[in-house]
Amino acid sequence: MSDQLKSIINKQSDQQNAINGNIDDVVQLVGFIIGDEEYAVPILSIQEIIKPFSWTRVPQVPKYVLGVFNLRGAVIPLLDLRAKFGLETKKHSDETRFIVMRDGDDVAGFVIDRLTMAIRLRKKDIGPPPDTTKGSDTIIEGVGKQEDKIITILKVPKLLERDF
Amino acid sequence: MDEFQEILQDFLVESFELIEQLDQDLVELENTPEDLELLNGIFRVAHTVKGASSFLNFDVLTHLTHHMEDVLNKARHGELILVPDIMDVVLESIDLMKALLETIRDTSADAGVDVADCVIKLDAITKGQVPESIESPVVVEEVLVEPEPELDYNSMDDAAVEDEIQRLLSERQAQDKAKRKAKIDAGETVLAAPSIKKEPSVEPDYDNMDDNEIEAEIQRLLNDRQNEDKAKRKAKIDAGETVLVAPSIVEEVVVTPAPKPTPESLPTPKPTPVVVKKKEEEQAAAPTKRAPAAVEQTIRVDVKRLDHLMNLIGELVLAKNRLIKINDDVEERYEGEEFLEELNQVVSIVSLVTTDLQIAVMKTRMLPIGKVFNKFPRMIRDLSRELKKNIELEISGEETELDKSIVEEIGDPLVHIIRNSCDHGIETPDIRAGQGKNEAGTICLKAYNEGNQIVIQIDDDGKGLDATMLKEKSLEKGIITDKEADNMSNKEAFSLIFKPGFSTAAAVTSVSGRGVGMDVVKTNIEKLNGIIDMDSEVGVGTSMKLKIPLTLAIIQALLVGVQEEYYAIPLASVLETVRISKEEIYTVEGRSVMRLREEVLSLVHIGDIFEVERILDSAEYAYVVVLGLGTSKLGLIVDTLVGQEEIVIKSLGDYLKGIEGIAGATIRGDGGVTLIVDVVALMQMARDVKSTAMISETVGESSSNTKDKASDYTVMIVDDSKTDRTIMIKALDPLGVTLVEATDGQEALNILKAGDYNFDGMLIDIEMPRMDGYTLAGEIKKYNKYKNLPLIAVTSRTGKSDRMRGVESGMVEYITKPYSADYLASVVQRNINLKSEFLS
Repeated sequence: MSDQLKSIINKQSDQQNAINGNIDDVVQLVGFIIGDEEYAVPILSIQEIIKPFSWTRVPQVPKYVLGVFNLRGAVIPLLDLRAKFGLETKKHSDETRFIVMRDGDDVAGFVIDRLTMAIRLRKKDIGPPPDTTKGSDTIIEGVGKQEDKIITILKVPKLLERDF
Repeated sequence: MDEFQEILQDFLVESFELIEQLDQDLVELENTPEDLELLNGIFRVAHTVKGASSFLNFDVLTHLTHHMEDVLNKARHGELILVPDIMDVVLESIDLMKALLETIRDTSADAGVDVADCVIKLDAITKGQVPESIESPVVVEEVLVEPEPELDYNSMDDAAVEDEIQRLLSERQAQDKAKRKAKIDAGETVLAAPSIKKEPSVEPDYDNMDDNEIEAEIQRLLNDRQNEDKAKRKAKIDAGETVLVAPSIVEEVVVTPAPKPTPESLPTPKPTPVVVKKKEEEQAAAPTKRAPAAVEQTIRVDVKRLDHLMNLIGELVLAKNRLIKINDDVEERYEGEEFLEELNQVVSIVSLVTTDLQIAVMKTRMLPIGKVFNKFPRMIRDLSRELKKNIELEISGEETELDKSIVEEIGDPLVHIIRNSCDHGIETPDIRAGQGKNEAGTICLKAYNEGNQIVIQIDDDGKGLDATMLKEKSLEKGIITDKEADNMSNKEAFSLIFKPGFSTAAAVTSVSGRGVGMDVVKTNIEKLNGIIDMDSEVGVGTSMKLKIPLTLAIIQALLVGVQEEYYAIPLASVLETVRISKEEIYTVEGRSVMRLREEVLSLVHIGDIFEVERILDSAEYAYVVVLGLGTSKLGLIVDTLVGQEEIVIKSLGDYLKGIEGIAGATIRGDGGVTLIVDVVALMQMARDVKSTAMISETVGESSSNTKDKASDYTVMIVDDSKTDRTIMIKALDPLGVTLVEATDGQEALNILKAGDYNFDGMLIDIEMPRMDGYTLAGEIKKYNKYKNLPLIAVTSRTGKSDRMRGVESGMVEYITKPYSADYLASVVQRNINLKSEFLS
């Protein structure tokens, strides 16, 4: 039984590889909307995506740090990307999600307006961040080009870095 | 390679354990240089390390220990008396040995530490020289004089004596060696019988035990080696002793070999209580032998695993809290049902077992504080020599147990405190003598349990702290102001020494006085949730008490509420709670204070510290949590007291660490996160908070926003019937105001809380699912912000009692269905102050 299963899984992954060519050349991202813009982060840096629930305010932090919430026993900071990007805060809607991102031991939840989809981009379709934002300080990892639009790819370690 | 690593690990663990004991033994030995048992024990440590390191090919270490062994061997044979100067060299060599072991631990090789100097010194001692010492001639004389006095040399000048002595010594040594060798040969043949008899009886025992061992091979090899060495050494001792003239030592040692073979040739391997003490100590000093016997009782566990276990227990405690909460809820809802009793039983068993489990795991992490205390005798010895003071250290309660993480953290603060006592506390012998005190100062180090805290007490009988002097000093350095100095009690003045940048030492010494130290002590102790209590009397001494919680992970906390938020305050710093009315709060110099019995207590509102938005109106009474930290007290005003709960401390993580006033977070029974108050920081922050202790009554009215047109006015319609809502919308349409709909009380409240709109009025139906109109009105009126929000009841209930209830709950108008559209519009217009010029 398990052998059968294995062979099926192998076959599936073979097929996938065939479609995408060399797997090394493809980056998998998750896209989401904040305000009017579409952003994306690498899928591997996402621990999970959850529906909003209650959090606890923490004093003496910038406005974009909403507080902390309980993720199955772990206390995790919650950041509002709208506020972080200088947009007006908006009431959470049915489409609002918390994306929990992880980089090594650093974990934080980010409030986003709405998810779009998982995106596969070839590496050659990803350009460097615009010159105006270059430098080590930029939060932008690169710009992904799709047929009809471009997507800003965010630097997760930078997002998880405390900057206050 | 792995096998080697494993052996290496065991070797390191064992060696570090041995050395820890060594320091203490050596200092003790200095006081009682004739204690042969101690000497033997120390010798064996050096020997064991030498044996193992040569087996593992650590040449530098072997080289060093070999020379140490030589010196100790001489001392053991009474050929050398361990005067302080020799002891310095021996201690230095032990420090080197530690350094080497640490290098081995880190790099698996013993390169990089230079032992040559020390070896030369050790060699010199072995040859009878005492390096650069005034007392040296005396010592050498002693060694020389005893066997064969040659007094003529005393008349020579120092250098000549030195040379002569050396020459004689080497000569003599050669002689001695030859003699001894002869004796050894003789001795060995004499001893051959017992040693042969001994070996077969011991060997099989080890074989039996070896079955339990993982690295049987290495163990056996080491044991063999030791046995061999021991036999040789014994022969040497026996032979060597006869050479010695000093009768007292001979007596002691001659006696020992007699009973020694008896226990060793006993068929049972385990030490029987009748075994001579010497044998016991031998076992303690050589754990290679002890290990097989101990295997059944202890296992070494990686600390990480214990930490993980502790984390899991933490989760379990949280789950237990949740279960208890759910149980309470269920009890309320299904009162009298049969299954409740069963549920109750299960819940109480779970909570009982969880508590026990928690205690059990906590105990596995406990270590005796003696592990930390052990290093102090050596430190005191070094310090007293360095400072030319006479200091004695008395240690008690070293068996008191503390959590491992605390034991690790407590070492540094204690070092600072003790150094401080030595440097600033204890006076020099002549001053002490002048004051009629015993020339030797005493430092007492005590540990004991007090409630669920451990108290570590450090007392010295030195000059004590002078409160006036401390105040002057702090004034000079600008740490405190004149006014603060005047109001300061003695105890508060003592705690000035913990201020950063404070140092009472007139001159900076290598020991202390650099202005760092005591404030680090305070921070470190506070990091452990501990408090420092100080007491001192000029000329009599200083006493410092460190009160530290047993464990760091799980604490008792008092949960308090402010507005809609909750905070947990560690119960250890809560002295009491009192309920006060607003009239009891006075303002003195811009600070809120209250009278608590005979004291004046300064007050601060928790909301001011944690920037809590005041939405809800405060009740007539406030609760004051009296926080105590050492000598300082503070009253923290909170809105509600929730109760006492066992909480698991969780870190806020790297991203949010270091937030002032917050020590961490915990997860409550309902799954929410509650922040834990850092009482130490809070007390600091309270000083900077301006007095707003009691709630300012003026909160901006919602209507204060400028209105330019009719649609700037917003009215909420709360009704569960779509038809009714449509009728109201139609009726209000001519006014042109913005309308927001809600289908029940709960939704209305949520919309209101969300704060997306500034409502000027609300139309509320009474009969609604989830939350009815009365309740809704009551809830809304709890918010200060909505105190003046006009609530209009629109209902088909016409009874007088209904109207009464409406008024009681805060409704301003009561419209009964059916109503005319115009009537409704005019009532709304009047209540929201809609200016008629906006009407189109």
